[in-house]
Amino acid sequence: MLDWQIITHYFPFLVKGAIITLEISVISLVLGLVAGLAAALCILSTNPLLHWPARFYVWIIRSTPLLVQLFIIYFGLPQFGIGLSPFWSGVLALALNTGAYNAETIRGGILAVPKGQREASRSLGMSKALTMRRIILPQALRLIIPPLGNNFVILIKDTSLVSTITLVELTLTAQRLIGSTYKPFEMYLMAAVLYAILTTGASLLLRQVERRTTWGHV
Amino acid sequence: MIRLHNLRKSFGNNEVLKGINLEVDPSEVLVLIGPSGSGKSTLLRCINNLESPTGGEVTVDGEWVNRTDLKPRAFQKHINRVRTHMGMVFQHFNLFPHKTVLENILEAPTQVLHRNQEEITAEALELLDKVGLAEKKDSYPVQLSGGQQQRVAIARALAMRPSVMLFDEVTSALDPELVGEVLLVMESLAAEGMTMIVVTHEMGFAERVANRVVFMSEGQIVEEGVPKEIFSNPREERTKQFLADVLK
Repeated sequence: MLDWQIITHYFPFLVKGAIITLEISVISLVLGLVAGLAAALCILSTNPLLHWPARFYVWIIRSTPLLVQLFIIYFGLPQFGIGLSPFWSGVLALALNTGAYNAETIRGGILAVPKGQREASRSLGMSKALTMRRIILPQALRLIIPPLGNNFVILIKDTSLVSTITLVELTLTAQRLIGSTYKPFEMYLMAAVLYAILTTGASLLLRQVERRTTWGHV
Repeated sequence: MIRLHNLRKSFGNNEVLKGINLEVDPSEVLVLIGPSGSGKSTLLRCINNLESPTGGEVTVDGEWVNRTDLKPRAFQKHINRVRTHMGMVFQHFNLFPHKTVLENILEAPTQVLHRNQEEITAEALELLDKVGLAEKKDSYPVQLSGGQQQRVAIARALAMRPSVMLFDEVTSALDPELVGEVLLVMESLAAEGMTMIVVTHEMGFAERVANRVVFMSEGQIVEEGVPKEIFSNPREERTKQFLADVLK
């Protein structure tokens, strides 16, 4: 049987952990979007000095585990005099990681916009940059929202890895409370519920954005 | 006004334009006809550099379009400016689906020419009225028929006040009953004295509206002349064959 007393008593502590998880998620998400957009545009660029570093970034991130990336940043960088707090190590690792996946998602969306759109814009005298900003990206947005939502949900869940570098977010809060209460089922269940609330909230938010991009479609 | 001198274009080893020489006068309506793959569309797209010629010169309003003396960045600036004087209408309309009809028309005049919003809005509404779509200004492209979309595309190009309009098979993607409304708009544009280069398979339109018809085949101009001459008394064998094929 579930120990409801334990649940009601400790739930507020877990909510506190969830708030840290939310913070780290939102900051990583925003930075990851910026990184992803920048990397996508660089990969699509014909300039090799932009193209190849961006390709390398996406390749190295996607071909190594997030946990190892996190350890390199948190445990490895201090060797070179770069010591980041657990929070910012987590943000950096997660942003770089989700950024690489976002880059591929965004690049795919940009390429999926029909080439006639680019031609029409350029024929009107619009520059490449103006065409990208005003015509291509808004249309790509519509295509990339669903896969981007996927990346967001994965990001939120991946924040649990940050518990391994002593950041007391949702998962580590649960673990610590288990140490004193010996109630692993209740604690992890509450953590799971709170993760589900965060990821569902993100999905619902994105659906609102998607609704604004119907442009006359029913 | 438009001058093509020894214009060449290759895609890889495939030479699509094999040295085209052509001049178009102000207010002239030039219609390009020919079998598919003859290079008509490529020729049109070379004029505003949507395709960059492999050789030769394109001159519009006395200005060298495909300048080879500029570094890439300077060329981009140059070509963006030159393109503002040339309107183009495409086979598949290419309206911006995320913008309303009015926004489609306002986009380039406000973003590229930085023209006064109020002034250009009044002008855009006038243009919409002219193509018979004033009441559709707040619709999105997806809510319009193909013919309506194409008329908006014409209005969008005209809003830049171009000195020449390029039409690339603009009725080819339309249902037959919608072709007429688009041709009508083009006809009235021609009557107003717009310089137009029209790639089309509408021989009736060519006969009625063109000042000159150019027949192309395999990347070369085979024959050109006034419509009557070309349609009723073609000199070249390839022209005769083509006309027999399309008019039967």
